[in-house]
Amino acid sequence: MQPVVLFISLILMAALSAVFVAAARASRGPAPGPGASAKRSGLIWVMTILGVIVSVASLREWPHALAGTGDALEVNVSGGQWWWDIDTTEIPAGKPVNFNVTTEDVTHGMGIYDSDLTLLTQVQAIPGYTTQITYTFEEPGSYQILCMEFCGVAHHDMVNEFEVIAAEG
Amino acid sequence: MSTVSENYVPGHAAAAPQAGAVKLTMVLSGAVFALMMVFGLLMRAAQGQWIDLDAALFYQLLTAHGAGMVGTAALSGAAIMWYFCGRHLVLSGGIFWAFLGLFLLGVVLILGAIFIGGYGGAWTFLFPLPALSGGAWEAGAAAAFMLGYTAIGVGFLLYYLELGRRIHARYGSLVRALGWNLILGREDNDPPPPAIVAAAAVTIFNSIGIILGAAVLVASLVHLLVPGFEVDALLAKNLIYFFGHVFINASIYMAVTAVYEILPEYTGKPWKSNRLFAIAWNAVLIFVMAVYWHHLLQDVVMPPWMLVVGQLVSYFSGIPLIAVTAFSTFLYVRGSKMTWDLASSLLVLSVAGWSVGSVPASIDGMISVNKVMHNTMWVPGHFHTYLLLGEVAMAFGFMAWLVRGKTISQMDGLDRAAFVTYLAGAAGFVTVFLFSGAASIPRRWAVHYEEWLAHDRIGTLFGGLVVLGTLVFVLRFAARLGRREG
Ligand code: HEM
Ligand SMILES: [Cu+2]
Ligand SMILES: [Cu+2]
Repeated sequence: MQPVVLFISLILMAALSAVFVAAARASRGPAPGPGASAKRSGLIWVMTILGVIVSVASLREWPHALAGTGDALEVNVSGGQWWWDIDTTEIPAGKPVNFNVTTEDVTHGMGIYDSDLTLLTQVQAIPGYTTQITYTFEEPGSYQILCMEFCGVAHHDMVNEFEVIAAEG
Repeated sequence: MSTVSENYVPGHAAAAPQAGAVKLTMVLSGAVFALMMVFGLLMRAAQGQWIDLDAALFYQLLTAHGAGMVGTAALSGAAIMWYFCGRHLVLSGGIFWAFLGLFLLGVVLILGAIFIGGYGGAWTFLFPLPALSGGAWEAGAAAAFMLGYTAIGVGFLLYYLELGRRIHARYGSLVRALGWNLILGREDNDPPPPAIVAAAAVTIFNSIGIILGAAVLVASLVHLLVPGFEVDALLAKNLIYFFGHVFINASIYMAVTAVYEILPEYTGKPWKSNRLFAIAWNAVLIFVMAVYWHHLLQDVVMPPWMLVVGQLVSYFSGIPLIAVTAFSTFLYVRGSKMTWDLASSLLVLSVAGWSVGSVPASIDGMISVNKVMHNTMWVPGHFHTYLLLGEVAMAFGFMAWLVRGKTISQMDGLDRAAFVTYLAGAAGFVTVFLFSGAASIPRRWAVHYEEWLAHDRIGTLFGGLVVLGTLVFVLRFAARLGRREG
């Protein structure tokens, strides 16, 4: 996901920058003709239509949808200054996992990283609330939980691990 | 130096009332921007393990840099808007001095809280972290920090009260000043100029933001002092991010008045309010308040419709920015035969930086993307784009214009070198942040893993260029100001 997001962002940013450079260069050229306002309306329409398409496509399936409790494994994670406690240390691959996340003190952020240090998913841990997300691990291996919300002087030390094991055949 | 000019005369560095106070504010802003950039550079170098900073000190610098930069962006934006509103309104100088005095009082309290009291709970003072430092600072330090914010907030409320009152007196109502006659196609032989439309909108949304911010500040202060007084953490977070989002955006929306009022001197075409302009600003007024939910996309216990609104408004706010502000800038520049001096170059750059920075911001506003980008370096990546290359470029452009002199001439060699250095440094610096975000590097981590050091070091080098360019801008501004005043 991240490389695609980076690629699309950089392309759009470069394109917009190029338009500005072209406009600056064109300060020496002829003044804009009468077609400018039609171009502006066109731009507004294109941005609106594109926005509707992207919004519908990206929200049709609710990104925070949870797996039904019947077929998911429940894992409880609690955080505090400055530790993570996970009640399951071996999670089977291929099965949806519902993480129930709580905190004992301030707000933390539970970010799940794979062994290449790529962030897979995250959720905030909010005092007084239980937050839930679902994730299905495809690959066996060791995973880490890093803190994603600034929580004080040892925020960067708030790390724990768990294993994902191959599902028995 | 302080003649009141009611009407704007193109081609003139028209003096505005209280120009002296505004210039002093810009010197202070320039100096603080430079100092805070050095703090930023220290943090980046520490992440890259080129220098050794204790984690507690790193988070204190992070707090100072965040609060200091946001505060200075707002201070410089407010000075710019005051200056240009002074062309259309009669404003009381006493209020501006009170505003500046309260601001400086706030700065003293905040710096004391951080560097004497050890407060390192970040500029967002997320409840209940200020009260639960795990031993790093005492409640008194957190209280001093929040009292500093309160002083600054009171100063801003005075500022907006005065602006709102004078706009009302001059234009009959804030609704008319927001351009509603233009929107409804009614006749108005004295339509509000762009700076006034902007001032009316910012006055409304930033006053609301500051009042809600004050509410959560007071609750947090009481929580610090009265054990057992509890606040709902999610409600507090909503209020904090509403305030924080609105406040930092207001700084850009205030500073952009420099573009509206200065560029016409170069292009010879006045920047006029029209129907589309008024619609765009009224949309901004709503959008800027409705979009703050995009900071809470991973707080899954929020009502889903709020997160949906956060995503949608993140995207659709781009339309007034790109199709109106940026597009109008293209039209003004094209064929204008304008002279590219430091002021005009920085101001056009600022619109570009602001627009370009909105791209990664709105992409991160998608809930599914946010799941893997939230609180990674992607976030400082996008906001440094529209701050360094947007708001700060507007402020530096305004400063260059203030000391430009009567005749417009091309940049000299040193100005050109500083401009290129700043642009290259800032573009590189923010691009590295975006790459770091895509590499899942979390933000606000004092200590980085081996795998991340290359990012941090390249970022530090680019950051150094930004500091160099800034030093030239600010020192030359101070020198030229001294020469002209003296
Ligand atoms: C040379 C220029 C600059 C450098 C080197 C720099 C560096 C940094 C660094 C290293 C961080 C922390 C990143 C992290 O989360 O790990 C940061 C955060 C931040 N910077 Fe800058 N910065 C610069 C300019 C600016 C400017 C001009 C502004 C605003 C006008 C700004 C506003 C902020 C804010 C609001 C934060 C967030 C603080 C937080 O997370 O609490 N910075 N900057
Ligand atoms: Cu934490
Ligand atoms: Cu943390």
